[in-house]
Amino acid sequence: MSRLGKKFRLPQAFDQAVPGQYWMLPCRFVNLDDNRYVLTNEVGEHLVVTRPQLEQFVRKTVSFHGDFYHDLKSKHFLIDDDSNVAVDLLALKYRTKAQQISQFTALHLFVVSLRCDYTCQYCQVSRQTDDKLAYDMSQETADRALEFVFRSPSPAIKIEFQGGEPLLNFPLIQYVVDQAKRINENHDKNIQFVITTNLSLLTDDILSFCLAHDICLSTSLDGPQDLHNLNRPRPGRNGYQLTVEGIRKAQAVLGRDKVGALMTTTEASLPRVREIIDTYLSLGMDAIFLRALSPYGFAVKTGQAYKYDVDRWFEFYKEGLNYVLEINRQGYPFVELYASMIINKIFSPFGTGYVDLQSPSGMAISAIVYNYDGDIYASDEARMLAEMGDKKFRLGSVHHDSYEDVILSDTVLDTLEATLSESLPMCNDCGFLPYCGTEPVYHHATQGDAVGHKATSGFCSKNMKIFRYLFTLLEDDPEARKILLSWVRP
Amino acid sequence: MIKGADAHHVDLSFDNNVFTLETIKRALYRFADRCSFDVESADKQTKVTLHVPANIAEPGIDELCSRIRNEVLDQDLRDSISRETANIRTLILANAFSNTGLIES
Ligand code: SF4
Repeated sequence: MSRLGKKFRLPQAFDQAVPGQYWMLPCRFVNLDDNRYVLTNEVGEHLVVTRPQLEQFVRKTVSFHGDFYHDLKSKHFLIDDDSNVAVDLLALKYRTKAQQISQFTALHLFVVSLRCDYTCQYCQVSRQTDDKLAYDMSQETADRALEFVFRSPSPAIKIEFQGGEPLLNFPLIQYVVDQAKRINENHDKNIQFVITTNLSLLTDDILSFCLAHDICLSTSLDGPQDLHNLNRPRPGRNGYQLTVEGIRKAQAVLGRDKVGALMTTTEASLPRVREIIDTYLSLGMDAIFLRALSPYGFAVKTGQAYKYDVDRWFEFYKEGLNYVLEINRQGYPFVELYASMIINKIFSPFGTGYVDLQSPSGMAISAIVYNYDGDIYASDEARMLAEMGDKKFRLGSVHHDSYEDVILSDTVLDTLEATLSESLPMCNDCGFLPYCGTEPVYHHATQGDAVGHKATSGFCSKNMKIFRYLFTLLEDDPEARKILLSWVRP
Repeated sequence: MIKGADAHHVDLSFDNNVFTLETIKRALYRFADRCSFDVESADKQTKVTLHVPANIAEPGIDELCSRIRNEVLDQDLRDSISRETANIRTLILANAFSNTGLIES
């Protein structure tokens, strides 16, 4: 960690601007298409420029009087003798962006049971068993995990209950919610609770508890009935019916904004993105997250992760995003969440809490996972990898390690240092860097190295395609731009 | 990984007065998913031999070569930017973290 601890010199140690010239400020670029480039700077401001403009800028031949000069100056790509203040402003903006690093950890995942009533082909972790003792989290483990939760400096804490199927251990959820609220009387943090559930065990009592404690529900919905049931088999083959009934019931009791759904993409989903989105619309949902199949766990073992490549997935994504824009054009506000996160990174001064799009890596900074047995993982993906026998990202155990041991463990610190995109080959001069992330667990799982080789990385290739597509829409399609900008949070 | 008996070999050369070896290597790195390289630097020129798989996907070898040449030009611009902005980048970071105790006293 010695490099991170290196001290900076005082500002006076550097030369100031000389009149009559301009100086470039730190920036990066990447080609958008054959004619245009995306130019970005340290704080995520961007300009789309032509190749001749880029050359002019770097060769210092931009006319002082033109619009291009004005754009470069106002977006902090250059300073001249009357704009030294830009350095302070950039520093302030950079600090705002970096703030999340000191405010760790916001998301705490409690894996309250590995048991599940489904037998999904791509599930990495669940167990089909009635043996509660073997795969349910105990109160003692939950107590220790809560101690970790309240050591986090983050003023806002989200506790998410995961599984398996967490409702199979609902008494423990009740216990954790009650305990967390009690402990918080001395901490005054903003606490939110989420249960990630397939909803098949949802009862009126559970809903009353959720209502009383302002708990959100997040479920899985993969699309129309046949697709959902194919992806998520359940004895009785009634998963879709139970999920849809559960969503409607929960919406009625808790309100629409308290019930979300996530989809998983499989090979069978690829030709059906419109139907998938229609399913969400028919349930009154206002957003969808078009996700790629993760390369971890059983998804790899069953060959699913390699069945379609990035290009095929991107066609699926593009068709889906275009359809979402079409729905918005017809006057129905509906959001694609991955695009929305990127758009927020492009246009909002605040970073996104989304673990995959962070540098350094969001692991342990944005999210931390307490497994049913008390083992602690850096992310949900790290837990899935461990289920396959690779415990590289296991950080310790709530039973044997202290909070300091875990947060300052070599696994966390080495990964943070190794995943600062600013120092990674190819990322360090990529114009998309301010909006991208590093995903160490993905690169470890697919390339055997947490840093990863970006030229051959599926993560990089997927993000490059999405960034290029979004910037092209922002530049060339005013109507799409208006819709995308409406997704920026105030 | 791609080099093999039935691979295509193509030579490209770059003027050492215009492009540094570092610039060329950085540019080539981005194409590691499509071909492998041998790089030989002589007095005046750097010779790059591309080993392209026989079954290269569209848009083909000519297009690949022209993309590599453009990327070397882009990389050269990037190197100019980072050379010129190295000091100011440090200054911005110093300002950003000025009340964190990381500044030398
Ligand atoms: S992962 Fe790829 S897209 Fe993202 S910053 Fe690195 S090079 Fe750019």
